[in-house]
Amino acid sequence: MDERPVLELRGITKRFPGIVANDSVDFDLRKGEVHALLGENGAGKSTLMNVVYGLYRPDEGEIRINGKPAELGSPRAAIENGVGMVHQHFMLIPVMTVAENIVLATEPTHKGVLLDYATAERRVRDISTRFGLAVDPRAIVQDITVGQQQRVEILKALYRGADILVLDEPTAVLTPQEAQELFTIIRSLTEQGKSIIFISHKLNEVTEVADRITVLRRGKKIETLPAAGATEEGLARLMVGREVLLRVDKTAAQPARVLLSVKGLTVEDDRGIEQVRDVSFEVKGGEIVGIAGVDGNGQTELIDAIAGLRRSQAGKIVIGDEDVTDDSCKECLDAGLGHIPEDRQRRGLVLDFSLAENLALHDYDHPPASRHGWLYPKRLIEKARTLLQEFDVRGGGPQTRAGGLSGGNQQKVVLAREIDRNPKVLIAAQPTRGLDVGAIEFVHRRLVGERDEGRGILLVSLELDEILSLSDRILVIFEGRIVGEFPPGASEEELGVAMTGGGRKAA
Amino acid sequence: MSPAMSGRLRSRLPTGARALAWAGILVGIAAFWVALPPLKVREPLVPFLIGLVAVGLGIAALRQGVRRLGWGAVVIGVLGIGLGYLATRSSVTHLDQVVVWSALTAAMLRYATPLAFAAMGGIFSERSGVVNIGLEGMMLSGAFFGILGADKLNSWPLGLACAALAGGLFALVHAFFAIQLRADQIVGGTAINFLSLGITGYLFIDIYGGEGTPPNIPDIPDVHLNFLEDWYFVGPVLGQLNLMIWLAFLTIAATWVVLFKTPIGLRIRAVGEHPRAADTVGISVYATRYAAVTLSGVLAALGGAYLSIGFVNSFNQNMTVGRGFIALAAVIFGNWRPWGAAAAALLFGFSSALAQRLPAYSESAAVLFQALPYVLTLIAVAGVIGRSIPPAAVGRPYQKQ
Amino acid sequence: MSGTEGTTPPEGGGKVENPRTGGDYAPSVARRLALAQRAGGLLVPLVTTIVAFLIGGLVVLATTGKNPLTTYQAIFEGAGLNWFIEIGSHELRIPFTDAHIPFPWNVNDLESLAAYNLQQTLISFVPLVLTGLAVAFAFRCGMFNIGGQGQYLAGAIMGVWVGSELPGLPGLVHILLAVVAGVVAGALVAGIAGILKATVGTHEVISTIMLNWIMVWTGVFLFGLGGPLQNDTQPFVPVSNDVLDESKLGILWGDPGLQALHVGFYVALAGLVVYWLTLNRTTLGYEVRAVGFNPEAAHYGGISVARNYFLAMAISGAFAGLAGAIDIVGWQYRINTNDVMISSQIAFVGIAVALLGRNKAIGVGLAALLFAALTTGTSTRNLDPEIFRPELAANLTLLIQGLVVLFVGADVLVLYLLNVRKRGRQRAATRPQE
Repeated sequence: MDERPVLELRGITKRFPGIVANDSVDFDLRKGEVHALLGENGAGKSTLMNVVYGLYRPDEGEIRINGKPAELGSPRAAIENGVGMVHQHFMLIPVMTVAENIVLATEPTHKGVLLDYATAERRVRDISTRFGLAVDPRAIVQDITVGQQQRVEILKALYRGADILVLDEPTAVLTPQEAQELFTIIRSLTEQGKSIIFISHKLNEVTEVADRITVLRRGKKIETLPAAGATEEGLARLMVGREVLLRVDKTAAQPARVLLSVKGLTVEDDRGIEQVRDVSFEVKGGEIVGIAGVDGNGQTELIDAIAGLRRSQAGKIVIGDEDVTDDSCKECLDAGLGHIPEDRQRRGLVLDFSLAENLALHDYDHPPASRHGWLYPKRLIEKARTLLQEFDVRGGGPQTRAGGLSGGNQQKVVLAREIDRNPKVLIAAQPTRGLDVGAIEFVHRRLVGERDEGRGILLVSLELDEILSLSDRILVIFEGRIVGEFPPGASEEELGVAMTGGGRKAA
Repeated sequence: MSPAMSGRLRSRLPTGARALAWAGILVGIAAFWVALPPLKVREPLVPFLIGLVAVGLGIAALRQGVRRLGWGAVVIGVLGIGLGYLATRSSVTHLDQVVVWSALTAAMLRYATPLAFAAMGGIFSERSGVVNIGLEGMMLSGAFFGILGADKLNSWPLGLACAALAGGLFALVHAFFAIQLRADQIVGGTAINFLSLGITGYLFIDIYGGEGTPPNIPDIPDVHLNFLEDWYFVGPVLGQLNLMIWLAFLTIAATWVVLFKTPIGLRIRAVGEHPRAADTVGISVYATRYAAVTLSGVLAALGGAYLSIGFVNSFNQNMTVGRGFIALAAVIFGNWRPWGAAAAALLFGFSSALAQRLPAYSESAAVLFQALPYVLTLIAVAGVIGRSIPPAAVGRPYQKQ
Repeated sequence: MSGTEGTTPPEGGGKVENPRTGGDYAPSVARRLALAQRAGGLLVPLVTTIVAFLIGGLVVLATTGKNPLTTYQAIFEGAGLNWFIEIGSHELRIPFTDAHIPFPWNVNDLESLAAYNLQQTLISFVPLVLTGLAVAFAFRCGMFNIGGQGQYLAGAIMGVWVGSELPGLPGLVHILLAVVAGVVAGALVAGIAGILKATVGTHEVISTIMLNWIMVWTGVFLFGLGGPLQNDTQPFVPVSNDVLDESKLGILWGDPGLQALHVGFYVALAGLVVYWLTLNRTTLGYEVRAVGFNPEAAHYGGISVARNYFLAMAISGAFAGLAGAIDIVGWQYRINTNDVMISSQIAFVGIAVALLGRNKAIGVGLAALLFAALTTGTSTRNLDPEIFRPELAANLTLLIQGLVVLFVGADVLVLYLLNVRKRGRQRAATRPQE
C-alpha cells in the first residue's frame, strides 16, 4: 500500500436547510487501501461520499485527486476523475440487461447510430474476467440475485475506469457468506491497485476488512485510526459519544399459551410465484420469536398473509382461538393482531394526517371515535394526547402533521397505535430501520416490555444483531421455508449458514 | 426466409395455453366474419357453432391459468355469436352497403393516422417519464396552425411546419411546468388542453370570423400508386392513400428503431425507468425529458395537421373531439411499444370507419354508432386483453440536487 | 414521494430500488395539493388568479389592441358584480316566511340590470359549485375525475326524462324524483370508472373521458330526430320534452318572466356544507382522505382502498349529476342536442374551480363565484360587442381557465421551496438529525 493519497478532502462543509450535514471534514485515501467510513445513521457519511461523486457541491472545502485540485461538479466529472460509486440503493435499471446497464451512456455503436450489442457483451465479459466478478451480460437485472446485482454495480464503476471505489453500506442485504465473498473481491481489487472507501455502520465488518477507519459523528470527523487494534466498544463510543449498550438487558422469557399458530402456510406473490412454502410455527404469549433471513426470502409475503393483506394458497392461521386464515386485514386486526409495518412512512403512517388521525387508524370506525359513521374529532384528539404522553413522542401534539416528526418519533406513534389496542400478537417488521441509537433503545425496551406483559411478539428483521439481541427463539427463513430453529445464544455464523440454505431443519 | 429468421419468429409465437387463448380470439372474430361479405352466411347456426368453439378454447385457456387472454377469448366468442346472429338477420343489401372491406380498410387507415402520430409522440414522452395528457391540445393546435399556415403561406409543407412549431411550443410549456417546476403532470396536461382550445378558438374566430376557413386551401396530396390500382383489394386500399398515411408508417418504424436500437433510445428509456440511475452515469435527465416531450408535441401536432389539411380540409373549433385521449389509450393498450400502439390505433380507426358506414342501417341509431370508438377504447383500457406495465418512473417529477 | 426524493437517501436495505411502487400510474394529486393547503391559505390562489388575469389582459391587448381594463370592467358589469357596489338600506324576506330583516342591498328592484346580471351569474354559480365539488371530492381520494361533463349530462338526461313524464304527482315529490334520478345517474356513470379503477386499476382520466363522449353521443341519440326521447310535438326539432310545470324549481330572486334565480341556489350552498361534513365528520370521509394521501398506509391500516375508490367516484358523480338535474328543473327545462354537443362545457370549468379552490369547500365556493362571473360576463347577451366580441370573450375565458389550472400545478413548487426553507430551519432546531 502506497503512502501517497489518491484522494484528499480538506475542510469539506455541506449544508442543507436547517442542518449541517458535513462540518469541515478532513479525509484522505491512500493508494491500494481500504478505508472505512463509520458513523451512525445521519452522521454524514453518505453526504460526504455524494460530494466525492459529484452529486452534491460542497459549500466549503477542497478536493484533491492524486495531489491536484479537482472540481467534481457532476457524476460525469467524478467518473472522469476515476471515482466510481456503488450506491446503497443500486442505481440499476431493473428491466434492462446487465450489459445495457453497464454500458449506459458510453454505448458502443455501429457507425455512431445503432447500438452494438455484440461489442457491449464482449466488453462486459472482458472486464468481468479481468476482475473476477462473474456475471451474465444478457441477464435481466430484476431477475438476478442481490449479490449478483451488486457485482454489476461494481463492474459499472470499473468499466468507466474507476480507480477509487466508494462502497456505500454494501453488506446491507448480503448474508454473512456473501459479505465474505465481497471482502475477498475487495482484497483482490486493492491488489490490482484500486483504492476503496467502505461506508458502514457495522462495527464487526469494519474491523475485519478495513486498513484504516474514520469515524464521523453529527457531521464532524471525530478520529481516523488504524483498524489494527481497534475494538468494537471503542469504535461504538466514538460513534455515539457515550457508552452504548450493545445488547438489551432482559430477563428470561416465560412463555404461556399459544397466541399465534401458523400451519402449512403457502403464499404466492403478485406474479403467482410461491414465496412462502409450507411454513409452520407458533408464537406463545410472553416470548419474542425472531425470524432471520436475507431480504426477499418470503418475509414480506409471510407477514402480509398473517396480517390479512394477502390471500394464502394453503395452510391455516390462528390468532388466539380464532381461525383467521382467509380473513381481511380488518378482521385480523380485530382478532387481536398488532402490526408494525416495515416502512413506517409508506405503510405505517399517513404523513399528511395529524397524529390524532394516525393514532385512530384502526379505531376510527368504532365508538367512541365515531358512531353510525359520524366522526368525533375531539375524542380522537383527547385520546391522542394520552397516548403521545405515554410513549414520550416529541416534536408535536395531537394536531401536528405526522410528516413533521423525526423517524424515531414517527415509529413511536406507530408503536403507540398498535400497542394501545392491546393485541394478543404483535408483528414487528424492521422496527428500528433508519432510527438513531436512542430511538432503537426505546423500541427494543418497549418490545421486551410488551413481551413481559404477556403478548406474543413476532420480530422480523434483516439486522442479525437485533434478532440475536431480542429473540427468545430464532427461526431462519430461506426461499420461503423455515430451515432452522436456534436458541438465542446462536452465533452469527450458524445463522448465516442457515440463511443461505446450508442448514438442516431443527428437530 | 432463413432458418435463423424463422427460428426467431417461431420463438416469438405464443405457445401452450396462450396459443389456445389467441386461437379462441381469432375463432371468435371468425364467427362474426363468416356472416359478412364476402361469405355472407345466412344460417345463424354457423356463427353460433364457430363462436362456441371460440368460447371452448377460451375456457380451455382459463383452466390452464391464462386468465386475461382466456376471458378475452370467451368474451369475443360470445360477441361473435351475437354479432354474427345480427348480421344474419339484416338484409344482404345492407351488409353489402356497409361492409365493403376495401373501403373500410382504406377508411381505417385514414382514421388511424392522426392517432398513430399522436401515439408515437405519447410513447416518446411517457418512455422518458413524463405523462402527456395534453396530446389532445397539441393535436388541436397542429390542426389549426397547420391549416392557418397552409392558407396564409399558400403551401402545405409550410403548413405542416407551422403545425409542428405550434405543437412543439405547447409541448415546451408542458415540459417546463412538468420538468422544471415539477408540477403535477396530469393537471398540467389538462391545462394545455384548455389553453389550446382557447387559443385556437380565439384565433379561429378572430381571423376567420363566422364563415370558417376558406375552400381551396392547399392540402396534402395523395400518393397515387398506379401500378397497384387494378389489384384486387390492395388497389382500392393502398392505391390512393394520402402522403401522411405513408409518413405515419415511416414514423412508427422510425420510433421503433430509435427507441430500441439506438443509444438515444436506450437513454430515453433509462430516464423513464430510473432517472436517478441515469443521472449517476452522467445522462442529463432534464435535457432528455425536454427533448422527448417536445418531440411528442411535434408528432401530435402533425397528426392534427393531417386532420385539417389532409383529411377534411377545414377547421372547426375542438375538431379533435377526444382523439388525443384515444391516442393515449392506444399507447397504454399497446404497452408503450410502437407497433403495439399502432395496432391499437388501427383498431380504433377501424371502429371509426365502421361507425361512418353503419348509418346505412338506421338514421337515428347512426348517432349512437359515433360512440363506438370511445366504447372500444374504454373496453381496451379496462384491460380486457392484458395488464400493461408503464415505464417505472412515469409521472414522477425528478429532483436534482 | 413528492418532496423528499433525492434530498436524503431513503432508509432501508441496499437492493435494486425499483421505483415501481404503489401501483399508481402517477402520484396522487391530493398529496401534492396538500402541500398547498398547508401553507398558502388564500394568498396563493389569489396570486395565481391575478397572474392569470394579467396574462389574459395581455392577450386582449395584443390581439385586439383594446384596453384590457375596459374589457375586464365590461365583464365585471356583465356579471352583475357592480350590483354589490350600490349599498343602501333595504329589506330582505326570510325564505318561506313573511318576516323581513334589514339588508344592505336592494333585492326588490326588478328593473335593475345589475341585479338581473347578478342573477344570471348566480344561476351559473350553482352548477359550477356542484361540478367543482364533484372534481374536488375525487381529488381528495387521489383521483382525477375529468368526466364531470358526462356525469352532468347523465343527471340532466334523467332530470328531463323523469321531470317530463308522470303527470299528476305532487310538485315536491316530482321534483325530488327528478333530482334523485339525476344524482343516481351521475353516480352510476362515475361508478363505472370507479369500479374499473378499483378492480383492474384503469386510470380514471381515460375512462372518464371516454364515458364523457359516450354520454354525449347517447344524449344526441336520445333527443335527436327520431330518437326515443325526442319531444312529442315538434318532429323536426331535435329537442326533448319540456319538464312539467310542477317539477320546476321555485323562484328565489328575480322576475319569473325572465330567467330568475331558482331555489337550486340553496342546494348549491347545502352542497358545500355536505361536502365539508362528509370529508371531515364522517368515517367515510376519513377513509377517503386516508386513501387520497397514502393508499398503501390506508391498506395496511385495514381500509379497503378499492371500495373507497369506487365510493369516491360515485359520490363525485352524484354531485355532478345533481348539477345536471338542478340545471334542468331550475331553468333549462329541456335539452337540445346542441346543448349536448357544443355549448355546455360547465363541468370542465368545474375542474378549474376545484383546483383553484384547493379542493376545500370555501375555496370551491369562491372559485365558482369567480368563474361564474367570468362566464356570465363574457356571454353574448351581457357583453357589449363594441368593447369586445363575445365569441372571442368566451375563448378568452377558456384561456384564463387554462392559465389558472396551469399555475395551480406549478405553485406547489413555489410553496414547497418557501416551506422547506422556513420549516426546515425551525424543525432542525428541535429534532435530532436522522
